[in-house]
Formats: sequence, C-alpha cells, structure tokens
Amino acid sequence: MMKKLFPVKHVMGYVFSLILSIVALSVVFWDMPFAVGMVILLVCAAIQMGVQLILFMHIGEDGTKAALYTNIGYALFVALVTVFGTLFTMIWGYR
Amino acid sequence: MKLDHTLPLEYRSEENSNRIFGFWLFLGAEIVLFATLFAVYFALWNRTGNGPAGHEIFEIGPVMIETFLLLTSSFTIGLMINSMRQGMKKPAMVFFAITLLLGLGFLGVEITEFVTYVHEGATIQTSAFLSSLFVLLGTHGAHVTMGLLWGIGLMIQIGREGFTLDTANKSFIFSLYWHFLDVVWIFIFSFVYLKGLM
Repeated sequence: MMKKLFPVKHVMGYVFSLILSIVALSVVFWDMPFAVGMVILLVCAAIQMGVQLILFMHIGEDGTKAALYTNIGYALFVALVTVFGTLFTMIWGYR
Repeated sequence: MKLDHTLPLEYRSEENSNRIFGFWLFLGAEIVLFATLFAVYFALWNRTGNGPAGHEIFEIGPVMIETFLLLTSSFTIGLMINSMRQGMKKPAMVFFAITLLLGLGFLGVEITEFVTYVHEGATIQTSAFLSSLFVLLGTHGAHVTMGLLWGIGLMIQIGREGFTLDTANKSFIFSLYWHFLDVVWIFIFSFVYLKGLM
C-alpha cells in the first residue's frame, strides 16, 4: 500500500530536489568567487527544472513528445533571448 | 466518443488530449511572461536609490521555509495524480488537500515577508529595485493564489462527481500548473534571494 501511494520514483525526485536546494544554499554560506556561485545556481536550477518537467509533469507521455519539447524549447529560447538581450543592451553595453 | 483505453483517464478522449496539449502551450507563454519580469529585475536590481539593497532586507530563514513548502506541495500534487491514476479517490483527495494547505502556508510566509519589507521602509515605490522585486514576486504569488482558488473549486467537483473524464483531465492540468509554479519559484529562490545574499 505504501508503495502504491508513495512510488519510489516520486520520493527519489522529491529528496533529490531538496538536496539540490541545499546545494544551491551553500553559495550563501561559503565564500566563493561570484562566477563559481552563479555556475552552481544555474546548474542546480536547470536540474531542478528537469526533475519537475520529466519526472513529475510526465512531458509528452501520450505521443505528443516532439511537439511539446519544441514548444517548451522555443519558450526557453525566447526567455533566454529576453533576459540576456536585456542585460546586453541595458547593462553590459554601457560598461 | 472515441476512447483510447491504453492511455490514463485524463488523456482518454481526443478533447482531453487536446486540452492537455493546449495547457502546455499556455505554460510556454507563461515561461516568457516570467522571463520578461526576470529581465526587468536583473536590469534594475542594483538601482536601489535611497532605499535598502537586497542583502539588507532578504532573510534566508523564511525563504527556505517557502522553498520547502512549495517543493513539498509539488511532491504531494504528483502523489495525487499517482493515486488518481490507480483509481484511489480518497488518498487523491487527501494529497490534494495537503497540497493546497502547503500552498496556503507558502502564501502566508510570503505575505508576512512583504509586510516586514514595508515596515522596514521598502515599499513598491521606494526604488526601481523594489518595484521590479515586488512585481516579480507578486506575479508569482498571484499565480499561487489563483491556483488555490482553482484547486478548491476542483476538489469540490471531484468530491461530487469522483474521477471522470472531465475531473481527471482538470486535475492533471492543475498538477501541470502547480509544478510550473514550483519551477518559477526555484528560479526566484536562486537568482533573486540566493544571488542577492551571495
């Protein structure tokens, strides 16, 4: 019964996401160069997103996988262009 | 109606599959919405004017509690879908209720945080940094609030009708929305709070 209610995959995903949050938290308490901290945050956030998308949201389990990955991929592309384009034109361009 | 019995209940009719597909398209637009808000925040985060800077008002304790509550609620809504797919209505309802309570807890902590900021003289009008911060956090918090109302309505309907083609479909779509809000929070947690305190 416990196994039916709490499948190993879900529990592992949950524990993994808690561990990733604690790893990300380390950037606040350990002295490290800014770049190293940002890399840790980026990697942890990207893995967390993957855990949610694939493990919990079951992306594309009914045969629409290619279309959904294209859609989310395109959305992420526009998101990255928006964020880094803004930084490029508003911040880095004025240095 | 043509039903494909190899698929879980929430995907079984073509209309159901299309609704789930359509919701993914909506989430794509939501990703871009939050990207614009993050872009504004990253452009303005050190424009603090006469107001406080991020590291002066951010507190790691409440932020960790918020993260823990939301991560756990994302886990429990996953368990709710898992129970639903095995036709166990009662555990599904319990997991759904726990999810909404955790969401309510998250909102409570976030509102307390906002009140603390305002008491410290950090309002939405104080500086460009605080305007962009409150808009980003507020948009996420508004999404959680909408999710709570939506979830309560859905629980009432499931209580009345059980898991049908319709309610199973709506529950699955709700779970997508909830997981998505968790992902947005992870980015706020990492690139607003942790980066601000680094």
